Amino acid sequence: MIVPLISIILLCPLAAFAIFGLLGLANRRFPRQDYLSTVAMLAALVCSFLLLREVVPNPEAHTVNWISLGGVTFSMGFYLDSVTVIMLIVVTLVSSLVHIFSMGYMHGDPRYPRFFAYLSLFSFSMLFLVVSDNLLGIYIGWELVGLCSYLLIGFWFEKDSAANACKKAFLTTRVGDVGMFIGMMMLFTKFQTLSLYGEGGIFALAANLNTGDMVWLSIAGILIFCGAIGKSAQMPLHTWLPDAMEGPTPVSALIHAATMVAAGVYLTARMFPILTETSSLVIAYVGGITALVAATIAIVRFDIKRVLAYSTISQLGYMMLAIGAGSYVAGLFHLTTHAFFKALLFLGSGSVIHAFHAMHAHGHDDEHAHAHEHGDHDAHGHEHGEDSDSGHILGSEIPADQDMRNMGGLRHKMPITFVTMLIATLSISGVPFIFSGFWSKDAILGGVLGRAMEWNSVHHYILFIMALSAAGITAFYMFRLIFMTFFGEPRNQEMHDMAHESPKSMTVPLLILAVLSLPVVNILWFNEAYVKPPPQPHLHAPQHAYISPDSNNTVGKGYTVSLFGVSEAVAAEEEGGHGTDGTHADDGHHGHHGPAHTIAMVLSICVAGLGIFLSWLFYHRRTLSAESVATTFRPIHNLFWCKYYFDEFYDGVLVALTVWKARLFARFDGSVVDGIVNGVGVVTRDILAAFTGAFDNRIVDGLVNSVAQVTWAVGGRIRRIQTGAIQTYLFVVLAGIVLLILIFRAL
Amino acid sequence: MTLQHYLVISAILFTLGIFAVLTRRNAISILMGIELILNSCNLNFAAFSRFMTPPEDISGQIIAIFGIVLAAAEAAVFLAIILAIYREFGSIRPDEVDTLKG
Repeated sequence: MIVPLISIILLCPLAAFAIFGLLGLANRRFPRQDYLSTVAMLAALVCSFLLLREVVPNPEAHTVNWISLGGVTFSMGFYLDSVTVIMLIVVTLVSSLVHIFSMGYMHGDPRYPRFFAYLSLFSFSMLFLVVSDNLLGIYIGWELVGLCSYLLIGFWFEKDSAANACKKAFLTTRVGDVGMFIGMMMLFTKFQTLSLYGEGGIFALAANLNTGDMVWLSIAGILIFCGAIGKSAQMPLHTWLPDAMEGPTPVSALIHAATMVAAGVYLTARMFPILTETSSLVIAYVGGITALVAATIAIVRFDIKRVLAYSTISQLGYMMLAIGAGSYVAGLFHLTTHAFFKALLFLGSGSVIHAFHAMHAHGHDDEHAHAHEHGDHDAHGHEHGEDSDSGHILGSEIPADQDMRNMGGLRHKMPITFVTMLIATLSISGVPFIFSGFWSKDAILGGVLGRAMEWNSVHHYILFIMALSAAGITAFYMFRLIFMTFFGEPRNQEMHDMAHESPKSMTVPLLILAVLSLPVVNILWFNEAYVKPPPQPHLHAPQHAYISPDSNNTVGKGYTVSLFGVSEAVAAEEEGGHGTDGTHADDGHHGHHGPAHTIAMVLSICVAGLGIFLSWLFYHRRTLSAESVATTFRPIHNLFWCKYYFDEFYDGVLVALTVWKARLFARFDGSVVDGIVNGVGVVTRDILAAFTGAFDNRIVDGLVNSVAQVTWAVGGRIRRIQTGAIQTYLFVVLAGIVLLILIFRAL
Repeated sequence: MTLQHYLVISAILFTLGIFAVLTRRNAISILMGIELILNSCNLNFAAFSRFMTPPEDISGQIIAIFGIVLAAAEAAVFLAIILAIYREFGSIRPDEVDTLKG
């Protein structure tokens, strides 16, 4: 049953796209591409749920050989374990809801059918990435989702900002992809395969590596993680994701919040068995720094979608941190919960924006519902209350209907949007017990603290503090968003009057996602038998690794027994190290991780409460003034406001360097290369050609002509003999005879 | 009369004939020279037949008679050609008939 089900899951969205593409070739169109794509996605969703029942805890792989090159065979296939199935469900579910939402949101767009075709192609690519059992398949899916992201960010390509954003996204992720490809090639040169699972797969072979190869394996792991840095918008390649908000909001929800950006986390989780201590630590630090930095940037943003974009970066950093700290289950658990509540937040913001669209559509442009998205900004969109000097550094002007300073008091106008977004916000902020985000975030915090206490590792204490601060800041800026948007008095009465609740096609997905933001998804993750972290044969606690080389060796050998059959002691340690993080979060805490989880939970509740309380003071009660704080801490505020100058750094250094290099090469090209070519041309023409020309004219032609002249002259002379007078001839004959006679006589 | 007498006569005739052929400007005169050359040959045939072969063998003299017949036929053809040339060119001087000259 598994193969047909996966085939249906993959082929449905592909077929929906193929129908669009093939009809498009004939300049025709399926009458309802939106229904076609949505139905295909719903079919895939149903099949994913059926798979949930099919897949037992034992992973299954189905592969076929794809290409044979020389002695190497590349295979293609599915690998199905519980994580795959959960990812399938997350992707198909969010995708289906986004499809439905888009029917309302994108209504009236001139390229409405194309939008759904792209969504279908994206869904196919993402699902292909998820089910692939080898790095090659993952890479193919990886690039395909990158392509779809490019197409969908630039969906309104009439806008310069969208066209630039999609290029930026594509190129920035490419930087990471190069690293990933090099990593893949490193693994391939070592193991001669790109398959991950099974006897001859990378994981089984990597488990047998000895300690001398650890540096090499760490580098390969970090390089593959580079791909995830690009795709999941981690520091320092995160700058494309906020710009990607130029795309339609459903796209932001599906691709840039729930699925594609999570693919990086998924890849890192898939690579879990080959992560070494070094690469794990790198991943954890990248994740931790990203979580903290992105959260601080989100505090000062006014564009509702950018706040969510930075929030997404921050949360992805959380997941990376979890996987880097060995909390495999917690990371993927957070991926799942985040997919739902962040998709909900994006769709909710889409709903708010849509409410203002309509106003614009009536006020300015009846035909074009998205007129504003195409650059039709209202004057009041530019009213920066502060920092007018750094406004230009921000780079992009906020469209009026995405600017939170134009919102306020919307909770009466849009009750469903308000309630659902509030649920998502409570979830992402980590409000205890009845929201899924609390459980997943607590699992990560507990996992990191657990690792810190277990290993007595300073690194992990630092990481824990980073994660904890990020959690507090997250609560703060998310409630800032809620207070500015839905509470208080309307700041822009004209826009407020026109705002209205969105149609059912948009509110129903919101409600479904709101339900999914409650801990219903936890069932999957809390079932220990269902999700098991794979062992990490090359990750040792520092005390094992650092005591002495000898003990290190023995430990290394102990691990080399087999990948899936780790010896008892190691297995126990692995369980202790990774297994408990998320899986035991509900049913109390056992072993020496109990305290860690309790402490983490208490602390996370405290920081979340603190964040919400401060946010309430600043943005609802207005006891404290954000402006005065901003003025007091102007340097820090400027740093946040200018996004740590990452874009400026890239523009000023990397882009400028590239342009400078390009100019240099252009000049080199113009002077040296062209000079050589032209010089060769001149030499050829003026010297060589002149020489051969002269040779041709003088010598060759001279020979030919002189032969002719000699012949001519000789002929002219000899001609005279032919007088035509017979008697002369006769005389000659006679003279000849006489001569002959004389000669013969003489002889 | 010995063979030498005949041969000397024949040689004189032949030389006269050659001289006429080489020097005459008139085709008819040239024809006459040719006739002289032919007759000198005939004379040789007859003389050699008379003095160098047995008396009953007269094949040389018969060849001389054949030669006379041939000379008559040749003269007829020659005169016909001369006539045709005269009609074509208005002259029977060989040096004026030179259209085949290279």
